[in-house]
Amino acid sequence: MHLIDCPWCGPRDEAEFAYRGDATVTRPAPDAGIDAFYDYVFTRANPRGWHVEWWHHAAGCRQHVKVVRHTMTHAIAATGRATDILEVPAA
Amino acid sequence: MSAPEPAVPAPRSPLAGVATTGRYGAAGGTPLAIAEIPAAIVQLAARRGRAGDLARAVSGAFGLDLPPPGRAASARGIDAIWIQPDAWLLLAPRGAEGALAAEVKRAAGDAGSVVDQSHGKTLMSLAGAAARRVMAKGCRLDLDAPAFGPGRAAVTQIAQIGCVVHQRDAIPTYGLVVPSSLAIPFFEWLTSSAAEFGYEVG
Repeated sequence: MHLIDCPWCGPRDEAEFAYRGDATVTRPAPDAGIDAFYDYVFTRANPRGWHVEWWHHAAGCRQHVKVVRHTMTHAIAATGRATDILEVPAA
Repeated sequence: MSAPEPAVPAPRSPLAGVATTGRYGAAGGTPLAIAEIPAAIVQLAARRGRAGDLARAVSGAFGLDLPPPGRAASARGIDAIWIQPDAWLLLAPRGAEGALAAEVKRAAGDAGSVVDQSHGKTLMSLAGAAARRVMAKGCRLDLDAPAFGPGRAAVTQIAQIGCVVHQRDAIPTYGLVVPSSLAIPFFEWLTSSAAEFGYEVG
């Protein structure tokens, strides 16, 4: 079980959150073409290590929380608001 | 020719026939108090960039300072509970249908959005020395001091039901706001969790 530190509500149980995927993808320009949009929607790196991701605090304040989580150990290094730039630990 | 305006039905308790007054569960000792509290419930959200204007308007009209995250505030019989960034739940004893929403709307003007939730949500209270132990059976929050206490509030999930928890005093007394459509399963969780301590439905 994760304890996710919501920037508004404080530490909350993972059960209150919905995982919303990779927070590093950025939407391509409207004219970027079908391949760019295919990658944007479907292609993910699936790294073993630190991963910046969205967790939606669905049963709490209903905000999207940015989380730096280790995909192997599940350790959480940082959490922040949607617009925060979070530091990702080396390896 | 238009159809006559349909009469607004009188508010009905979602717990009618379920929350029956009486003492239940373990005998002896002081029972926990469980009650449904008829309340006017209004959701208030600041329009983008207008949180300051809204706070001033509410403060001027009701003498109520809208609380920061995790907190509740009370003034002139109205409780305000922070529920999400720039949004609050306002609770007051039930008066005329829609009266609180209209009053809040008048005060907020174009600085806030007002939604009357009096029918959509139901307020219950749980009070007694063992209330924290009852809550611990379904609430994942740390309700002990210093993490929680009088004047604190949180939006969370209890027994899989979305719930606003507001600690009103040091007894402790908890105000619990749940969707009316889930009031019966929530009440059943509450009463079965309280049974080992004994409880009184008032």
